[in-house]
Amino acid sequence: MIRVDERLLESLAKDKDFNAQACFNCGTCSALCPMGLGLLPRELFRYVLLGARDRLRELSDVIFSCLLCRLCEANCPRGVRITHNIRTLRSYLVKDEYRIL
Amino acid sequence: MEAKIGVFICYCGGNISDYVDCEKVREAVSKEPGVVVAKTFMFTCSDAAQEEMIADIRQKGLNAIVIASCSPKLHLETFRNMARRAGLNPYTYVQVNIREQCSWAHTHHKEAATRKAIRLVRAGIAKARLSVPLEPIKVKTTPAVLVVGAGVAGMKAALALADMGLEVHVVEREKAAGGWVKEWARVFPSGRPGEELINTLLKGFEERKNIHLYLETEVVEKRGSVGQFQVRLKGPQREQEVEVGAIVVATGFSPYVPKEGEFGYGASGVLTLQEFHALLKRGIEGRFVYAGREIKNVAFIYCVGSREKEERTFCSRYCCTAAVYLGLLLAETYPEVKQFHFYRDMRTYGKYEIFYHNCLEKGAIFLRFEPPDVPKVEVAGERFFIRVKDRLTGGEEVEVPADLVVLVTGMGLGPNENLVNVLKLPVGKDGFFNEVHPKLRPVETVIDGLFIAGACQGPKNIAESVTSGLAAAAKTGALLLQKELRLEPLVAHVLKERCTGCGECVAACPYEALSLKEEDGKHIASLNPALCKGEGACVPVCPEEAIEIWGYGHEQIRSMIQGLCKEEL
Repeated sequence: MIRVDERLLESLAKDKDFNAQACFNCGTCSALCPMGLGLLPRELFRYVLLGARDRLRELSDVIFSCLLCRLCEANCPRGVRITHNIRTLRSYLVKDEYRIL
Repeated sequence: MEAKIGVFICYCGGNISDYVDCEKVREAVSKEPGVVVAKTFMFTCSDAAQEEMIADIRQKGLNAIVIASCSPKLHLETFRNMARRAGLNPYTYVQVNIREQCSWAHTHHKEAATRKAIRLVRAGIAKARLSVPLEPIKVKTTPAVLVVGAGVAGMKAALALADMGLEVHVVEREKAAGGWVKEWARVFPSGRPGEELINTLLKGFEERKNIHLYLETEVVEKRGSVGQFQVRLKGPQREQEVEVGAIVVATGFSPYVPKEGEFGYGASGVLTLQEFHALLKRGIEGRFVYAGREIKNVAFIYCVGSREKEERTFCSRYCCTAAVYLGLLLAETYPEVKQFHFYRDMRTYGKYEIFYHNCLEKGAIFLRFEPPDVPKVEVAGERFFIRVKDRLTGGEEVEVPADLVVLVTGMGLGPNENLVNVLKLPVGKDGFFNEVHPKLRPVETVIDGLFIAGACQGPKNIAESVTSGLAAAAKTGALLLQKELRLEPLVAHVLKERCTGCGECVAACPYEALSLKEEDGKHIASLNPALCKGEGACVPVCPEEAIEIWGYGHEQIRSMIQGLCKEEL
């Protein structure tokens, strides 16, 4: 079960450019991803939106495998800033979860 | 008077003549008693054919005509008008349907189709022979209207009717006008408080001398019929009677009230949509607080009391947009408050789609459920945990913490038994009042002069209620601004010398058009022709054959049967 983590939601809300909520699950990004990542952007964003903190930790490999090529972003019909969002997630994982910085 | 009948048979450009030998039909019926002229035409409905028939009526002095063509649904009025132009009473015209009921039905058997057509036309001739000229029933109209319910639909209807110059009596059960709209904090799409909207309308009431508003008043009795109703109103102090030509019912809806425990309802912090409006209306200053606790997360659960399996199967239409719109307002006032919307299908139709997108962009989170996996609300002290299988996350179970749960409750029809009984309102399966035709006659009822408007006819938002109120006003105006109504004369009539006053017909009539009255010392059935629809429930129950429908008299029907069964062809 996914437990919605309010702290994660609050942390992401601080980033005004993070706009995963605009996603309406069409799957264009998934079809275009050259990495064929095990987890697709829309699924990842869904977890992020829900504040599924445990999932995010489990999925850190995927989050760091993204090429940031922006093929998905250029074609997103809802204007989701996918690569920016991925960077925000990386920064969240590094700062808030692994406390490396 | 000797019958002089003209019979005109239509080829319908092959639709009939490909299967029915029209010339053979003409020959067979031309010798029928009373037939003066029998002709065939390629299209009887064409101008040329109509002119020729008119010439025949005039030159040969016809007093009845039979046209064997299509369904009277299509051309009854066409040919009645033609008869009128020829100076013939339109009710001495008989239409025989040899297309839908003969040629099209028997394309596989032409010879039998022709035989059937001959019999049908003979029956038509038999009917025409005994036809009597009829005049429309004339009813003087009272230039006044009763509007039941002073919600947004009723108020708009009243204003429109007043501007047509009619006297308008508006009856409201509650202590104040304005209905539910008055209770709403902010309404889409303008964002204005509902009360403001109502005050504008109330100002319009004050400015017009011909609107009379009766508060805390109910309708207790109705007599009369279209054009001339007498209605008794019971107010807080006294009863009074008003004379009106038509009635507009705009009694609105009752919001669905969840059962105790349904989605946690009953616990402090679980509100219906109406209660949430009341909370917003009281005004929240500074922090978002309910019952002394600060609200950080709000959960909206949609489709509560709508789209259910057995009862309440309808969609309440307005609630998706209302909830999304309130969510949007909430996000603007309290951007830090997180919102979770548990919905089944997002029905922010038409122009309201923008609110859904804006609400998404404001960061509200939408989770989609599908019955039977509906959200489960767990009450944990002052907080709630809502669990749902979220379809947008591939059906994974998600648990959401919330401080306030808003149940997005739908519409239903309120307790209106008295009104339904007094006005004989037609009630549908869902409990809403029934229109005659959902697309083409949306504000009329089966009772002439009785109109329905707004959410009492089915769930509607404010804009739709107003549209429907104005539509009802237009239909009412079109009726009453004619100083005199002309009604179809094909109604029942009582043969007084035969009637024994047994009352069987009175009980059989679904329109209450018949009653027993004393006449020359005996009780006999008496008809209000303005209420009669001529549907004939009274005719077969009469043991004395003392009641019949004009145009369908006993003798006429018997001679039609003779015509149908006549053996030589």
